[in-house]
Amino acid sequence: MENKVQIDWKNVFKLGFILFAISAVAACCLVLTNYVTAGTIENMNLATNQTARQEVLSEAVDFEEIPAEDLTKIGTEIGLDNPDELVEAYIGKNGNKVVGYTVKTAPQSGYSGEVQVLTGISMDGVVQGVTILEHNETPGLGAQATLPKFKDQYKGLTASDKITVVKSTPESGSNSIQAITGATITSRAVTLGVNISNEVYQILSK
Amino acid sequence: MNFIKNLTRGIIKENPTFVLVLGMCPTLAVTTSAINGMGMGLATTAVLVGSNVAISALRKIIPNSIRIPAFVVIIASFVTIIGMLMKAYVPALDAALGLFIPLIVVNCVILGRAEAFAFSNGIADSFADGLGMGLGFTLSLTVLGSVREIFGAGSIFGLSLFGASYEPVILMILPPGAFLTLSLLMGLINWKKKKV
Repeated sequence: MENKVQIDWKNVFKLGFILFAISAVAACCLVLTNYVTAGTIENMNLATNQTARQEVLSEAVDFEEIPAEDLTKIGTEIGLDNPDELVEAYIGKNGNKVVGYTVKTAPQSGYSGEVQVLTGISMDGVVQGVTILEHNETPGLGAQATLPKFKDQYKGLTASDKITVVKSTPESGSNSIQAITGATITSRAVTLGVNISNEVYQILSK
Repeated sequence: MNFIKNLTRGIIKENPTFVLVLGMCPTLAVTTSAINGMGMGLATTAVLVGSNVAISALRKIIPNSIRIPAFVVIIASFVTIIGMLMKAYVPALDAALGLFIPLIVVNCVILGRAEAFAFSNGIADSFADGLGMGLGFTLSLTVLGSVREIFGAGSIFGLSLFGASYEPVILMILPPGAFLTLSLLMGLINWKKKKV
């Protein structure tokens, strides 16, 4: 039973070479496209972030980033379970006057993982705006968090108290928001992001 | 003549979703609204046309024994390139479809057509096949998305149909709704076919 398998080395190398050639050409195309588009995409991201900051804190003209190490310290001070939940924070300025802060948070407790929430808070401790940057929530349910109907509820709430989530229309002055029907988990995740931002604001504004 | 036949075959007679039952994963996952279905369909069409043409052009160079890895490399490159171009030059479209673009790589309509058609046919025919299959895929995804959106959200293409008093059947835009709609539509088509 000496039935040794014959390997046709010549063919193996030939096939390997062809596959290598196809992959090499494909890689070249990818490198080229990446080279052409990377700068544009980067600029676009910067512009999108700038617009988002402007949207949640319309009083501010310029934004100055708070250094990452300071932010890490703030994160430990407010006792974050997961330091990744605090992404970045900016001081919003109008001329030399500080008008407020924008804080980007990434609560991990969405229905499908991370939800990126950007919150703008003015110097009088009022939430000026909230916007959802990135998320993977269910279309038609959790994804409704990106609609003004939901996110505008945060406008005017106070940053010094914890914002709570209720299922029915909240009483006026109760510092709470109404959850999206069928997407309480998403509503809670966004609120968590806003609450973290509020705590960051408390420390920054001291 | 052949060109037209190749083009129209995919739209109804060999519709990739309802007849060939290919690409079920994106079909079930993204058809939560009419616009999502249509967007996914059009993005897939673009990749399908590109990959069909490229594979047809290279069919004499690619040896039979390594055709599958070669297809995968070509398709994945097309998807990535289209994704990057969209991100850079049509950001609005990318924001709406961004999630679906990488999903196209695993869409077996594309690998299926490469294997079943483009690898053994000329460039023009493969182009027609890709376009036809892509449009067929777009059509069925749009129909699926519309049905689910009408019942699940009370609207179509974002336009409200029944007014605020309508209580949407949320189940329809959740995963079970996808299976229900797909199976009912498929049954309907088969029933219609049998009668004729």
